[in-house]
Amino acid sequence: MPETIIIHLTINGTGRSFRTPPGRRLLDLIRDDAGQTGTKEGCGAGECGACTVLLDGLPIPSCLVLAASCEGHEITTVEGLVHDGSPHAVQEAMVETGGVQCGFCTPGVIMTSVALLENSIDDREEQGRRLAGNLCRCTGYEKIFHALEVAGTTDD
Amino acid sequence: MDLSVKDIYRPLTFDEAVAAFSDEPSMLPIAGGTDISVQMRAGKFAGAHLLDLSGVLPRSISADGGFIEIGAGATMDEIADSGPLRSVCPALCQAARKVGAWPIQCRATLGGNLANASPAADTAPPLLVADALVVAAGQGGLRNIEAEDFFAGPGENTLKPGELIHSIRLPVTDPPSFSRFTKLGWQREQIISVVSLSISLHLNDQGLVTKAAAALGAVAATPKRAPSVEAVLVGHSLDPAAISRAVEAVQNDITPIDDIRAPAWYRRVAAATLVERMLEEASGA
Amino acid sequence: MTKIQPPLGGSHRRPDAMAKATGQTRYVGDLALPGMLHAAIAVSDRASARVLNFDVASARRMPGVEAVVTADEIPGDNQVGVIFPDQPLLVTDRVRMVGDRLALVAARTPEEAWDAARAISPAYEDQPGVFDPEKALDETSPTLHGTDNLLHTFQVLRGQTDPDHLDADVIVEAHYEIGGQDHAYLEPQACLAVPEGDRITISASCQCPFYIQQAVARVLAIPLASVRVEQAPTGGAFGGKEDYPSEPAACAAMLAWRTRRPVRLLYSREFDLQVTTKRHAMVVQHRWGADKNGRLVFAEVEAVLDCGAYAGLSTVVAERANVSAIGPYAVPNIMVRTRIAYTNNLFGGAYRGFGAPQVSFAAEATMDTLAHRLGMDPLEFRRINLVTPSDPLTCTDQPLAAPQMAQACLDRAVKDSEEHQIAPRAPDSWRRGRGISLALYGINLHRGGQFLDRSSAVVILQPDASVIVRVGLTEMGQGNLAAVQTVTAAALGIQPDKVQVWQPDTTTVADSGPTVASRGSHSSGRAVLDAIERLRRRLDPIAAELLGCRPEDVELADSCARVSGGGPSVPLIDVTREMAARRIETISTGWYRSKPRVFDEATGMGEPYASYAMACHVVDVAVDPDLGLVRVEHVAAAHDVGRVLHRTAAEGQVEGGVVQAMGWALTEELKLDQGRLLNPSFTDYLIPTSDDAPPVTVALLEDAPGRGPFGSKGLGEPAFIPTAAAIRNAVCAALDVEINRLPLTPPVIVRALAGNHRFKHLME
Ligand SMILES: Cc1cc2nc3c(=O)[nH]c(=O)nc-3n(C[C@H](O)[C@H](O)[C@H](O)COP(=O)(O)OP(=O)(O)OC[C@H]3O[C@@H](n4cnc5c(N)ncnc54)[C@H](O)[C@@H]3O)c2cc1C
Ligand code: FES
Ligand code: FES
Repeated sequence: MPETIIIHLTINGTGRSFRTPPGRRLLDLIRDDAGQTGTKEGCGAGECGACTVLLDGLPIPSCLVLAASCEGHEITTVEGLVHDGSPHAVQEAMVETGGVQCGFCTPGVIMTSVALLENSIDDREEQGRRLAGNLCRCTGYEKIFHALEVAGTTDD
Repeated sequence: MDLSVKDIYRPLTFDEAVAAFSDEPSMLPIAGGTDISVQMRAGKFAGAHLLDLSGVLPRSISADGGFIEIGAGATMDEIADSGPLRSVCPALCQAARKVGAWPIQCRATLGGNLANASPAADTAPPLLVADALVVAAGQGGLRNIEAEDFFAGPGENTLKPGELIHSIRLPVTDPPSFSRFTKLGWQREQIISVVSLSISLHLNDQGLVTKAAAALGAVAATPKRAPSVEAVLVGHSLDPAAISRAVEAVQNDITPIDDIRAPAWYRRVAAATLVERMLEEASGA
Repeated sequence: MTKIQPPLGGSHRRPDAMAKATGQTRYVGDLALPGMLHAAIAVSDRASARVLNFDVASARRMPGVEAVVTADEIPGDNQVGVIFPDQPLLVTDRVRMVGDRLALVAARTPEEAWDAARAISPAYEDQPGVFDPEKALDETSPTLHGTDNLLHTFQVLRGQTDPDHLDADVIVEAHYEIGGQDHAYLEPQACLAVPEGDRITISASCQCPFYIQQAVARVLAIPLASVRVEQAPTGGAFGGKEDYPSEPAACAAMLAWRTRRPVRLLYSREFDLQVTTKRHAMVVQHRWGADKNGRLVFAEVEAVLDCGAYAGLSTVVAERANVSAIGPYAVPNIMVRTRIAYTNNLFGGAYRGFGAPQVSFAAEATMDTLAHRLGMDPLEFRRINLVTPSDPLTCTDQPLAAPQMAQACLDRAVKDSEEHQIAPRAPDSWRRGRGISLALYGINLHRGGQFLDRSSAVVILQPDASVIVRVGLTEMGQGNLAAVQTVTAAALGIQPDKVQVWQPDTTTVADSGPTVASRGSHSSGRAVLDAIERLRRRLDPIAAELLGCRPEDVELADSCARVSGGGPSVPLIDVTREMAARRIETISTGWYRSKPRVFDEATGMGEPYASYAMACHVVDVAVDPDLGLVRVEHVAAAHDVGRVLHRTAAEGQVEGGVVQAMGWALTEELKLDQGRLLNPSFTDYLIPTSDDAPPVTVALLEDAPGRGPFGSKGLGEPAFIPTAAAIRNAVCAALDVEINRLPLTPPVIVRALAGNHRFKHLME
């Protein structure tokens, strides 16, 4: 058995410490150690975006990032977007517009979308390019774009 | 799924990282992890002793004398949006915005892209064209490596054992009049380049090319400069004849192979087309 | 008869959406149980070899390993073939494809399990394999099962079928090479097996819990009643979780049975791409003729499906391909022959469209080529040949109930394509082209699969007038929960949020067959309506008493029971409370089965399907003439849907189907070398991204009611079928070339231009 290490980080606003093997991926720390299984694994290789979480506010593929590298950082997952029982505007919009089908890409799509809006990226073409790392096999993306539009107007 | 790692050292400063690495060059540096994690997942480096650079790499993009210095830890997202870089080396910003998709760009570092030394590394052509210096840090301090001397083969670079990339320095005293990057794949986003190209040109008042630099990716064992293209451009205006000479010349600069992404012949056609289009754009600019 | 009422055709929130959007939905990978082990599978990396010796002892000793299971330890039949018993769960002496299973491993962590599985590498003696489906049918080719590689032949013979007598003014002969496709559902295959005494529970990402139930019972030699399969939330399927999940489920069940512990099996993306079923690659040879007025005279089609190493569902796929080979055109003389060839490639399985997309691709390409040879506009040529009310017969001589919908879809898609001005995204220097394609889709299962076509539902009316519904058909993203919820709410006149539809479970509903062939909302909706009808035999008398009317005058609407024709009303909740007070049975079962149909397999004449739906897609593309890149700029999709049950779900089916088909048409290439997939990752198997997706104008035509609940028709597959051919036709129109293969990757397009390409000297 390899040595374990201790990692301190903030997940969804709560500071936490974990003792893990050194090779633990951020994705597994979130899912297995922190028990937040909303974040999904669709490829494990950075290609599908299902594992996207926000690291200090920016979207990153948590399947490629070592948990050990996140010492002291802030992670937000799809669960962390719900405040006092109210879903985030992007979550509402995804549900409202029909942007959710099988739902497996959805948490990742939502995280990238939240970052898009927070960074005021509202041009549809640019949104299309920035979302290209979040594959969706079900929707054809049309309703995801629609959700972004809706959330963009309800957000401010 | 845990990656097979024996141990990880998390230094608190870059100097600590350099010291540790010089002591133990068998350690495996990891910056953003976007290349190395994929390789480890595929079974490479089992039981590695990792050197975590993520918190300690220089990361700022700043002017320094006649140079812009980009910390090895700067992410693609930061490079793409950097104001100072955009004015002197737009090609690099364009390339950074084309590395994977946005979540990758928010994590992938410039140092990692170079150290990984993929023939398709997208930031390589603009850096080659800009005569960038790769600043390596080792036991003896810092040393400069010309970008052109940095790549040694697929996955091979000329860092010495125990050396880390500290930063990349771009000479900016004489910024080009034209600087572009483009890449080609079956899709436009989130795609490994089938061919990539960067060109920078200095044009004088008469529209003559006084200096030309071109480099391509994914057409040889390393990203590489295109000296034949450069040679046929210098001293000429960008008229159709010059452009077609460049289009022919690029074939001498590349040695593409058939691989899973594209056949060699297609890469030849693509290199010709991209060179032509980029020069046509420059001639109108 | 229940009246049509809200929320039919609306866009209320899908019942499963918010839990998915907030990360609460628990897919199999999110389930962990105390003591759970992780499974892995040792597979062959050869496509054709004899297995000489085979040692698992060292794997058993590896860290964390709790069990290694080989074929001789299977208590029941070592057999997972869905239709033909040609596929062992674990091979013993021979491998026929890359991915054939050698042994199963259970270990404490997934890493330990897969490490041990990878360490199992038998000594092989390679055998000659066959990788080309046409060659596989040669007598001299090595065979996979029995004495030849021909699994089955289907035919359609109509009118004059002697090739020597088939003549016309213009004849087109064409050879189509059509590639396969991976489903690329975002959630890889996943299942969890939990043993409990003499029975076992399986949770699986799947389209058919009943197939899994059968496979597990067979492999473990236990009664069907001892196997409980619950469908877990399923992260996409598209056919890839119809037949295939029985295999991983049988693996997990074997290991759970052996270790007496819960065992979870999750595929990695690479493993999933490398070993699971694919859309069948096909080779289609055409000889079609038309007279000089542009009327089709005959159509001859020779199709060969690459079945891969095992039959799987190939016969069912071929059956649909066979009768879909002509499309919605009236052709007097038809000779279709569809053959299935075993090869040592990855095996084909169910995939959205079930063989129809491939043959439709060929048919619609030939339609364009014929039009060009005749000097006619492809649109006009299609109009001349479409089925019409005066010529309403399909290629199997079956009269269509609404043949006019072919024309209606065509007109609407053309109009939408012309009217929707989308700002072009490709550079001006690219060439533009427009392509049209139609589809005639047989809804529900083919006559050959009709024995599967039944469906079960349970409706439980609660005292507070809310309703629990269980159906046997699954939700995998397509919107079955929303459809069933809508149908239930509309039939009972209540709000959709009062209806909870729970995922299927083999212990709560009877075998309802697979959720395929666009039959989900049709078959489960009809079963629910049946259950509600039966329920109302008990509900209406109570309501009548409260209302003081006759039971037959009770009508349910606006959450009330009322006297039909606008009489007095009482809240439904008063009725349900009264039922509870009187201890009246409030659970009701429902059943649906399709009517028997007549079909002659030898000639292909008769009624392969109960009913049909039409579709037309018009696609605008821009093509880079130097690099062969294609940008799909706009798609107009018109669909004959009968009635919309849930609007955004229906639109989502079309938008998603179009983009998935676009991937098949342009970038999704299965690069096989000696049966091994060279690109088993999303790095190199390229499915469309948000940047590639075109705007899709969706028209849902409700003019011709179907046989589904409230007149609806299946939509999941018709959404996929026409797109690829329309893209091909648009690309060919843009470049003035004829390309008869898929996918249209840039090198394929550039090659097709070779003679005229500026850099043709570089193409040697
Ligand atoms: C889905 C996906 C898409 C991608 N698309 C592209 C693309 O389009 N174009 C492209 O060019 N690349 C692409 N990549 C590759 C990768 O993202 C880039 O190469 C990235 O810049 C690597 O940086 P990193 O910080 O993540 O490197 P890491 O993975 O951390 O390291 C890469 C290598 O560099 C070494 N290293 C890292 N930093 C240093 C340093 N400072 N000094 C010395 N050695 C160091 C490591 O030891 C390792 O060998 C893609 C990757 C993925 C997963
Ligand atoms: S699971 Fe991380 S990108 Fe696919
Ligand atoms: S909703 Fe299924 S992959 Fe996006």
